[in-house]
Amino acid sequence: MRYLKEVLESRELLANLTLREIRGQYKRTIFGQLWSLVNPLASMLVYTLVFALIIRVQPEAGDPSGLDIFAVWLLCGLLPWTFFSNVVQQGMGSILGNVGLVQKVYFARIVLPLSKVGSVGYNWLFEMGVLVVVLVICGAFVWPWLPLVVVTMVLLAIFAAGLALMLAVANVHFRDTQYFVSIIMQIWMYLTPIIYPISLVATQSEKYGGLFGTTVSILDLYRINPLERFVAVFRQLLYDNRWPDPQDFLLCVIWALAAFTVGLWIFRRSERGLAEAL
Amino acid sequence: MSEIAVSIEHVSKKFRLYHERNQSIKSAIMRGRTSVHEDFWALKDVGFEVPVGSTFGLIGSNGSGKSTLLKCLAKIYYPETGSITYNGKIAALLEVGSGFHPELSGRENIFLNGSILGMSKKEITGKFDEIVDFSGVEQFIDQPVKNYSSGMYVRLGFSVAINVNPDILVVDEVLAVGDTEFQAKCAQKFVDFKNEGRTVILVSHSMESVRDMCDSAAWLRHGELVRVGPADETITAYLESLPGASAA
Repeated sequence: MRYLKEVLESRELLANLTLREIRGQYKRTIFGQLWSLVNPLASMLVYTLVFALIIRVQPEAGDPSGLDIFAVWLLCGLLPWTFFSNVVQQGMGSILGNVGLVQKVYFARIVLPLSKVGSVGYNWLFEMGVLVVVLVICGAFVWPWLPLVVVTMVLLAIFAAGLALMLAVANVHFRDTQYFVSIIMQIWMYLTPIIYPISLVATQSEKYGGLFGTTVSILDLYRINPLERFVAVFRQLLYDNRWPDPQDFLLCVIWALAAFTVGLWIFRRSERGLAEAL
Repeated sequence: MSEIAVSIEHVSKKFRLYHERNQSIKSAIMRGRTSVHEDFWALKDVGFEVPVGSTFGLIGSNGSGKSTLLKCLAKIYYPETGSITYNGKIAALLEVGSGFHPELSGRENIFLNGSILGMSKKEITGKFDEIVDFSGVEQFIDQPVKNYSSGMYVRLGFSVAINVNPDILVVDEVLAVGDTEFQAKCAQKFVDFKNEGRTVILVSHSMESVRDMCDSAAWLRHGELVRVGPADETITAYLESLPGASAA
């Protein structure tokens, strides 16, 4: 509790560090904030080209929205994923990247990874705003679902923050972590139904049935992935325009809280030793 | 001189000297987690008290543990044994311009640096003019700090730090910043500090400035406290212990 109070007292510092990241990021670029859109747009083009036009992946049309545009469907999953992956990777490096500060000034170290959540989240908010505009232009009735979208975004941010906290500590002790995680992130992305619909996995899973004589199917294992749930909820809200599946949503909440609790606990335990271990 | 600002009791700090450090997962797994190291005690059972309103100097040769003690005081390191108790708000000035972002303007950096040092936005706004005034970089306050001369950079950083207004200020040899004029300003600021009843703990190799500014001093050698007492006597004893005792 005392720790939480200290963290709460550092919120101004957190805000300032976040602002530092945001303001510093696109300084001296001509397009400024627009750059944050370029990356997702470029991946969108590549994935659409390869997966929709060449491999012919066809996700189901949005129900009840009736949307049937691969690029938009893709973005509904890709933007949350990019946010998640950036938070984890940047948050992981945040302690190491601020050696000077950590070794010279006392402050609640937790603000370093959290400020990354803030700055990456700011970009994400911008991207999601653009996505909503695109959805509206395409004819989705997305407005009533926006509050829930925001809640889910917060949940994903909490989940990502939890992982970032754990990995930031691990990265100080083992510098291998960052290289390891960047590979894991690539694999993780393809294990999440972002560029292909989960129905493809379901079909394969049915073919094999229960694994090793149990009732556990490939699909069940596949759905342990927390990001699968998050992506599903985002698509239900944004692309389908309907209430999210309660089970999916509940699992998002549980994953977020669990990851954050463990992350906070690990971080708190090792916070004192960080300056020395660097 | 009765009240105690900082009380340091039996503080010991250990570092590990690694002969073989397993900082990669591979070696940790291949060889088991045991790393080969020996303990090095940077501080051994150091204890003294700093009275409220005094200016206290830490002296000693290189590697005597002064900076380690300072970092323990600043809560950057945590001692293995012993405890440090504070009576009031503490701020440490181990480096000037901590967290300055080169692309941001002087103004933005004042707010950033101030909040890193633990000031609230309100405090910074209230002191903003004073900070800018003290640093003497008004003219360039809206320029990115990467364009500052190194002197301006350091002066701005120092001005923010000195305006944190803690009850206890811990300073590592950052006094030697800026030109003579700025140094005089800093010295004056320390005198003001003292007159306001605040406590200053500083580390310096310049015996002259320690003698000028400090009431008391502690002398560390190889992590052990050799002597603590009035500045003059401690400094004299320290200087005499040096081979070819003539340097001042």
